[in-house]
Amino acid sequence: MRRMAGYFLAQLKRVCRLLPLQTGIGLAICSCVGILAAVLVTQGAGEGQQRYRIGLVGDVSGSYLGFGFAALQTVDDSRLMIELVEMTETEAEAALARGELTAVVRVPDDFLDAIIYGGNDTRVTYSADAGQTQLGYTVMGEIADVASTLVTASQSAIYGMQRVLYDNGSADRVGSETDKLNLMLINLVLSRSGFSEVELLGYAEGLSLEAYYVCRIVLLLPLLAGLSGGVFFLSRKSALARMLKAGGVGALSQVAGEYLAYLFFLCAGFFLPVCLLAQGLERELFSLPEWEGMGAAPFLALLPAFFSAAAMFAALQFFLYEVADGIVNGLMLQLLVGVGMAYLAGYFYPSAFFPQRLRSVGGFLPAGAAARLVESGFWERDARGAGAAVIVWLAAFLFLAAVVRQRRILKG
Amino acid sequence: MKTKMTIQVQGIRKAYGKKQVLTDVAFMAESGQCVGILGGNGSGKSTLLSILSGVRRADGGSFFYGEAELLRYPGRIPKVLGYVPQEDPLMEELSAWDNLRMWHDKETLKRELAGGVLAFLGIDGFLKTPVRKLSGGMRKRLSLACAMASRPGILVLDEPSAALDLVCKENIIRCLTAYKEAGGILLLTTHDVQDLALCDKCLILKEGSLHPYEYDGDVHKLAEAL
Repeated sequence: MRRMAGYFLAQLKRVCRLLPLQTGIGLAICSCVGILAAVLVTQGAGEGQQRYRIGLVGDVSGSYLGFGFAALQTVDDSRLMIELVEMTETEAEAALARGELTAVVRVPDDFLDAIIYGGNDTRVTYSADAGQTQLGYTVMGEIADVASTLVTASQSAIYGMQRVLYDNGSADRVGSETDKLNLMLINLVLSRSGFSEVELLGYAEGLSLEAYYVCRIVLLLPLLAGLSGGVFFLSRKSALARMLKAGGVGALSQVAGEYLAYLFFLCAGFFLPVCLLAQGLERELFSLPEWEGMGAAPFLALLPAFFSAAAMFAALQFFLYEVADGIVNGLMLQLLVGVGMAYLAGYFYPSAFFPQRLRSVGGFLPAGAAARLVESGFWERDARGAGAAVIVWLAAFLFLAAVVRQRRILKG
Repeated sequence: MKTKMTIQVQGIRKAYGKKQVLTDVAFMAESGQCVGILGGNGSGKSTLLSILSGVRRADGGSFFYGEAELLRYPGRIPKVLGYVPQEDPLMEELSAWDNLRMWHDKETLKRELAGGVLAFLGIDGFLKTPVRKLSGGMRKRLSLACAMASRPGILVLDEPSAALDLVCKENIIRCLTAYKEAGGILLLTTHDVQDLALCDKCLILKEGSLHPYEYDGDVHKLAEAL
């Protein structure tokens, strides 16, 4: 026990020697992540007004067709999510290829003629590039619904009515009757929003986009901290492990002593950035919608959850360095596992967009369990399940690291 | 360490899967003696040392130090035995003093620095120097100091003079001779005939068991015997 304590203290002394380097790396990583977070949050804040751009190609000069599209852009609910841009077919194709458009609405040249002569089988066509398929389906559904009601059917009705009035010698009533019919059709379209009431609770896992990303980014720091933590493992020696074992410090005790020192090493590296973040929140230099006017208190209340997650990530990193043969392999392993797991757990892209099976896998992984633990702090939900998962992962990684250490001692 | 003690190793066996590495290893030594274990690569020297130092478990056999059976109660081993692996086991970022402090308390170190083992090894000359700045010889002396400062009754060394220059080897041998003279029991493996001058008993590990060998300075004869 005395030797184990001595070993732990020696590791702490090592940490103190490495601390200036680690603090520097920690600050550099935090600065990069801070800039990324600021960009994401700034974009996220504008996301409320951001709409899907749809290219409008073809002849829309017909008075009523033009009116229909104008109505789409000014009075219909779809204006909140769709921005129609008139352009030529070539421009539209190029913009679609560049990803500047989500879809193109192509109005065939004979569209109006077909309607005027009573036909209704000439359709407005839509296309989307492959990368936009998922979003495209949503948008297409909305446009098809609006277009079929307001554009296709309304055009047929207006022109049909006008022909009836002309044929029956009531040409003087065409203007007033068309206005009445237009208003009626617009009312019909507008009443769509009365069928149901949609309340937006949040973009992802019930959090605002800003909170979601801040939460994930703050977790991404300890998850990828293994890259900067490599210096801790640089001078690891099998001979020391064997000598310690001969001195009565077994594999599990060695791992425990080194892990605690490594955890301290990581926490010390991120102490300054966390203080700066708390100060920023307290002085209201920045905030989240969920924490508006509350200062740093909610952030500080989340720190135990963040710390638990960081402790689990530290155990994972420790295990990966233990498994890896050499520091370069260790760094590669940290990068692959960290980034892969972060992606699956929705750190880069909200997991709500993933298929259910993938979401389940992502939620089960350590990164997913950590996110659930921290998010439960936002909602003041029961965190026992997520907390237990984090503890089980932490214990599993340390146990596995001890098994690998034992093999390394014997192999030597 | 002043009391006359003996070690007695009997019937040690060890197999890795179906491969029997040690079949029936037996030898004895007493205070002030050095036992040199020789053998070809893969003969099981390191396995034997790791069993005796408590790093690895034997499949059978016993290891007595005086009356105490150490293999049945491996918790006793660190109290009586110091082990120095072939590669240096030092923490690069720490000073020589900090490395020593990991193994021993302050009082022991101060006592040994004031005319004890550490003074003899010349550790006081680089006590505050970080290990990464030490030469190979200094590292070896420091490794020995970590194992020897508490003056264990048995010292187990895995190729103590490997990769050292002549002057360093001479220093190490001088130090180990002093340890023997103080009543310690020395067990070492080696490929270096220079180390054999230190040994009172040479044993060749071949086909899983130990065979006595009298080294007469003929290296060719020794190579044939291995």
